[in-house]
Amino acid sequence: MVKKYTSMAYAKADDMLFGNAKFPVKAGLGLEIGAGFTTPELNYAPRPQAGKSKDKLVKEYERITTDAMARMVQIGAPSIVLETEHVEQMSNNPEWGGAVAHAQKTIMEEYHDEYGIKCALRHTIGDIREDRDYLQLRGDKYTTFMEAFEQCAQNGADLLSVESMGGKEVFDYSILRNDTAGILFGIGVLGSMDMEMIWSDIADIAKKNGVVAAGDTDCAQANTAMFIAGGLLDKNLAHTTAIVARAISAARSLCAYESGATGPGKDCGYENTIIKSISGVPIAQEGKTSTCAHSDLMGNLTMQCCDLWSNESVEYHGEFGGTTVQCWSETLAYDCAMMNTSLKLGKGKDLRDILALSDKYRDPQGYVLAYDNAYKVGQAIAKDGNNNYLRSKNAAIECCNIVETGINSGKLKLTRFETNALAKVKADLVALTDDADKFMSENLTKFKQEVAVFRPENYGL
Amino acid sequence: MLDLKLEDIDGILVRYNVALEKEMTPDEAAEELYPKDELIYPIAKSIYEGEEDDVVDGLKAAIAAGKKPIDLINDALMVGMGVVSKLYDDGIIFLPNVMMSADAMLNGIEYCKSQTTEVPEPKGTVVCHVAEGDVHDIGKNIVAALLRAAGYDVTDLGRDVPVDEVIEAVVKEKPILLTGTALMTTTMYAFKEINDKLLEKGLKLPFACGGGAVNQDFVAQYDLGVYGEEASDAVKIADAIIASGNDIEKLRAEFHKH
Repeated sequence: MVKKYTSMAYAKADDMLFGNAKFPVKAGLGLEIGAGFTTPELNYAPRPQAGKSKDKLVKEYERITTDAMARMVQIGAPSIVLETEHVEQMSNNPEWGGAVAHAQKTIMEEYHDEYGIKCALRHTIGDIREDRDYLQLRGDKYTTFMEAFEQCAQNGADLLSVESMGGKEVFDYSILRNDTAGILFGIGVLGSMDMEMIWSDIADIAKKNGVVAAGDTDCAQANTAMFIAGGLLDKNLAHTTAIVARAISAARSLCAYESGATGPGKDCGYENTIIKSISGVPIAQEGKTSTCAHSDLMGNLTMQCCDLWSNESVEYHGEFGGTTVQCWSETLAYDCAMMNTSLKLGKGKDLRDILALSDKYRDPQGYVLAYDNAYKVGQAIAKDGNNNYLRSKNAAIECCNIVETGINSGKLKLTRFETNALAKVKADLVALTDDADKFMSENLTKFKQEVAVFRPENYGL
Repeated sequence: MLDLKLEDIDGILVRYNVALEKEMTPDEAAEELYPKDELIYPIAKSIYEGEEDDVVDGLKAAIAAGKKPIDLINDALMVGMGVVSKLYDDGIIFLPNVMMSADAMLNGIEYCKSQTTEVPEPKGTVVCHVAEGDVHDIGKNIVAALLRAAGYDVTDLGRDVPVDEVIEAVVKEKPILLTGTALMTTTMYAFKEINDKLLEKGLKLPFACGGGAVNQDFVAQYDLGVYGEEASDAVKIADAIIASGNDIEKLRAEFHKH
């Protein structure tokens, strides 16, 4: 059952704050997410050689889990979420993912029983729905994909997530050619259609197994744009184009919560503040603590409304201060202690604003994602919430308007290249039809011709 | 929401890209670089603008005026792409411009080939692939496009390529360079297997590796590995091989920056 959002969860942007979600989520062993405090969410990747066999992988994740839980009790952290992002072997062989979940949860239960530490295990299934040449979103692999969720849910995972790939074939082509309609079609239309399909099924699996259908992220598309855009001096993609892709991605990732997911959204969904403003679900975010994985130009700002605070991913190996999972979980836990202290002292909103302002004018991406502006993008989405295409287009245009306001204030300084790119994207958007069917028809025809790997049947078209 | 005063922002962050932006617009910079020949100029300009149809129109006009199709590949299409590559290297234009120009150039090459029985001589062949088990291929697609734009013949094996298929392609194509990209820590391990199998067969060629989880320390662990931090490094590595040979230690000295 898909129920679209047509109004905002919060009456005003100022009501949004880290550690507090309108609809908190209970999960795992005594944990409640978004219920007045923040919790670290640790993410990790096994060493390269660990993928050689199921036994090696299970052993690797046992080491990771034990190290992290041990460090959390050593420093007195009250709560922790562990997130296992599947390597492909674990999703292509669902019993591998199930075995890893079982091994991890067994260790977490021991720590919970002995120390009372609140904890939960998130498993993020790999979107394996593709073969060498094409996405295969609805083919044979769909069964394996869903079985991977089922196995994890049955064997200890408390939170189910995925970084789904719908629309990526059109998006990848379009983002490298400044094709605004293609970006909108890939993320806002095709991506949304796929999200509605998979999240209805994931929510059913979660319900059946008594676990949480957590949420998705547009990592495959909006983060691709963000990474290609890179740092201030990189010359690969205008940051103004990247943030338009991000605004569209909020309309797309929202579909998970309209199809039964309840949060917490995935850490690398930089669109999550927008989503929280509309849906009120708790969100995971990453920023300065994910520099071990990538650079994002908004290391503090992303903490502003987070409920889980994550490090994105780090390869498991030794550092001077312990293993990487110990070092990064400790860093996350101290950040959460700072946020939680500010909440107890009644200074949460001050800290939120300091975090947001320290990055807000660094880059157009942070500017639009600052919670006051993110809320405006949310309103643009909710205005036409029943129409995936229109709400995506609204988000993109509102994003352009917000950046223009920032430029006009003199506080957001952009290069001519970026302002020119912004003008082009906005002109492209304004010229688009308001008729979703017409947009679909035109772009189906166009991308069937231009993108050899685009197969409309993946979307039931 | 609290806010900063305008005058306080520069003490918190510096937009170095705004401070350093060049005065000249991309179009002005390109204009200075186009060849002056009146038949070649419109082709080069159309490449820069990424206008496929205009490129073909320019080629038709040049051929009608007596230029040989095979010569136009190097004398017009590659020259136009050279303008684009220089502007990209200089930070004046961005990647999507290069991709659109590369599409227009490749379309032009196909047109030239269709107008002659002569076969163009590429600078060298490069085999590109994404590691087995890994389907993230946008980085590889950029690498392949930039290599083609620089005049290399690219054999693109695609994504999720089995190790043995990579070896077979190297045996068959005899490339000057093999490239591999990977996003995941567990899939990049295939690079080491490829390295070992190439050495078993006595095939010693530079193997340029990069991508999300790939780092210089990992690539330096196997004999043939050369780490590429950016997609554009693949072209620079290929150019270095053409200019100075395929000594892997020398390539590492140049490209291993950390």
